[in-house]
Amino acid sequence: MKRRRFFQTLAAVPAAGALVAQQEQRPAATPPGPAASTELPKLDTAPADAAAEMVPHFFDAPQFAALRKLSDILQPSLNGVPGALDAKAPEFLDFLIGDSPADRKQLYRSGLDALNASAKAHFNKPFPELDATQAATVLAPLREPWTYDAPSDPLARFLRAAKQDIRTATANSREFNLAGAAGGGGRRFGAQSLYWLPLD
Amino acid sequence: MAALQYDVLIIGSGASGGMAAHTLTKLGLNCVMLDAGPQVDFQKDRVLKAVYDLPYRGFGKPGRLPHVLQANEFNANQWVDEQQVPYTHDPKEPYNWVRVRMIGGKSNFWARMSFRLSDYEFKGKDYDGFGENWPISHADLAPYYSQVEPIFRVTGRKEGLAQLPDGNFIEDNSPDSPAVQKFAAAGKAVGMTVTKMRRAAGSGQLASSFNLLLPDAMATGKLTLVTNAVVREITIDKNSGKVNGAHFHDRHSGRELHVNARAVVLGASCLESTRVLLNSGIANSSGVLGHYLHDQFYISNSVVAILPEARDGKGGRGFGGGGYIPRFRNLAKSEKHNFLRGYAFDFNTAGTPDAKYFGAWGEELQKTLESVRGAAFSATAMGEVLPRYENHVSIDKNVVDAWGIPVLNFQCRYGENEFNMAKDAVDTLAEVCHGAGWEVLHKNPKMFPPGYSIHELGTCRMGDNPKTSVLNQWNQSHDIKNLFVVDGSSFVTGGSQNPTMTILSLSMRASEYLAGQMRAGNV
Repeated sequence: MKRRRFFQTLAAVPAAGALVAQQEQRPAATPPGPAASTELPKLDTAPADAAAEMVPHFFDAPQFAALRKLSDILQPSLNGVPGALDAKAPEFLDFLIGDSPADRKQLYRSGLDALNASAKAHFNKPFPELDATQAATVLAPLREPWTYDAPSDPLARFLRAAKQDIRTATANSREFNLAGAAGGGGRRFGAQSLYWLPLD
Repeated sequence: MAALQYDVLIIGSGASGGMAAHTLTKLGLNCVMLDAGPQVDFQKDRVLKAVYDLPYRGFGKPGRLPHVLQANEFNANQWVDEQQVPYTHDPKEPYNWVRVRMIGGKSNFWARMSFRLSDYEFKGKDYDGFGENWPISHADLAPYYSQVEPIFRVTGRKEGLAQLPDGNFIEDNSPDSPAVQKFAAAGKAVGMTVTKMRRAAGSGQLASSFNLLLPDAMATGKLTLVTNAVVREITIDKNSGKVNGAHFHDRHSGRELHVNARAVVLGASCLESTRVLLNSGIANSSGVLGHYLHDQFYISNSVVAILPEARDGKGGRGFGGGGYIPRFRNLAKSEKHNFLRGYAFDFNTAGTPDAKYFGAWGEELQKTLESVRGAAFSATAMGEVLPRYENHVSIDKNVVDAWGIPVLNFQCRYGENEFNMAKDAVDTLAEVCHGAGWEVLHKNPKMFPPGYSIHELGTCRMGDNPKTSVLNQWNQSHDIKNLFVVDGSSFVTGGSQNPTMTILSLSMRASEYLAGQMRAGNV
């Protein structure tokens, strides 16, 4: 290619940047309706629990009924503060324990069975049907002083774990915390914290 | 093109590696630092969340971190994944190995308790005949402690105690609260001294290698910081017998690389450093590499007591307070107990006891907790663990981590000395609480499993005798002169004090020595 022709060709082919500039200079057709926002929306979403109910499936019916009764006795609603049943602690524990290692599953299943068995042995009816005084008899192991090593008795060991778990599942629930905020108490201390995202 | 060669390769970016970089770059050496984790952004990598918005309501995913008792659902992602980097032990003898892999390492999360060791530790054998003395004394390390403490802005009250040397503090001479004064008066009967907590104030949110050491090192222009570099082994020049770099894997891809250096400084944390050396098959002519593993045993809530004068809100603001009780046992050779060495306490007098301590439920429990809110004493007991040969780590060739690197096997248990010491600690503390007129609600002499304190020490100990120690007094390998190990693995004994200030000071001292040796052409 002769030198003169080469420069003529270069002049005829705009650089990429120049092409973009030409596109931007061309007047755009005005779409109908209001001008589009340049920002993408951030939509309000609802947590699943606000729209639906948990479906328990780990414990059998007598075990779950005993867990509900136990939850209500250990952490009742007091002075308008939601209790364990309001916080759906039994349903949450059905999920949590069902997702736990085998020894924790066994602790809860055999513990709830032992709770019903103890109630039948003392009062000839299952734990959910006991009144408060009768229930206190069955829950007597909880009166024992706390020790670092878990009790050897399976029912006592279960009751100790359940007392802690029911309290935590209640205190960390949406219902418990939002009720505190609505009552003017603000968010409960410790209810919010910095969460570490998975490290890249 | 010839491969890049640095003056010094530093493995690990936590307290010890960070101090090595801080010191060596200031002295003009060209350093490269490898860390197995990423650099985190404390603003973007953490988000404020409500506990009820977490998938497990704060319980955490069951079984995810069975050995990390400090883990919760908020912080679970900051710890090393136990499935990705496993380790093995007899199920009946657990070891809680708590690890962090990110720039700054565990110094991003430590409790900031900042103490010096004393000659009761450096020269412990002289007092009771057990084990070995360190090859250095407090006087050797004091000039380095005095430089480290201002960098970390350590606060404290000077007491003139031989067992807890005073430091170059930001002095805290605020008065003790009424509750602390009462407790201190009762403690005198058993020889206790109560002092202010000695704590690294740091700068801003952190007192870490990440914000206090590495920025200065980077500013020299002599530090190349490589993230996500999982070191497999240190390499040896076959002609000279000296170390010449390390093989490592990219954390994300597994790709293998090699970095060259004239000297290597290991500061990957006590047991990771030892793991690297064992996997490299070096620095073990003594046969003690991996041995003499020790830490401090911990008992949280060793004693919980109620202050009657603070029940039902009577204590009021400013009544309670906290403090530190340094070791007071076996300071005189004439003292006779059924254990050697001693223990310390970290205590608080304005807490609310956990509901588990009360044999009640429902409304009765709620009323009880309201009554004792802010009216409880509790203390963590921290005891010296004797370094014993039989407590050790070795390589488990049957198990590898996510990068194919063989993992550690632990054989470690507490012995009679620790059990007796723990019982004395709890009984004595309860006695002092009674003496103060407080109601002891609970006492527990049961120690957490070894490792819980996150103060793992030893396994690469220093000493003058190459047949019984891995390092010399300069944290330098007896076997390989251009190899240094500057973390807690170099400890001979650990005392009852938190070790971070000593690790930092040893690293500074070793790094100055290394720079001098390189200038002199000896390394």
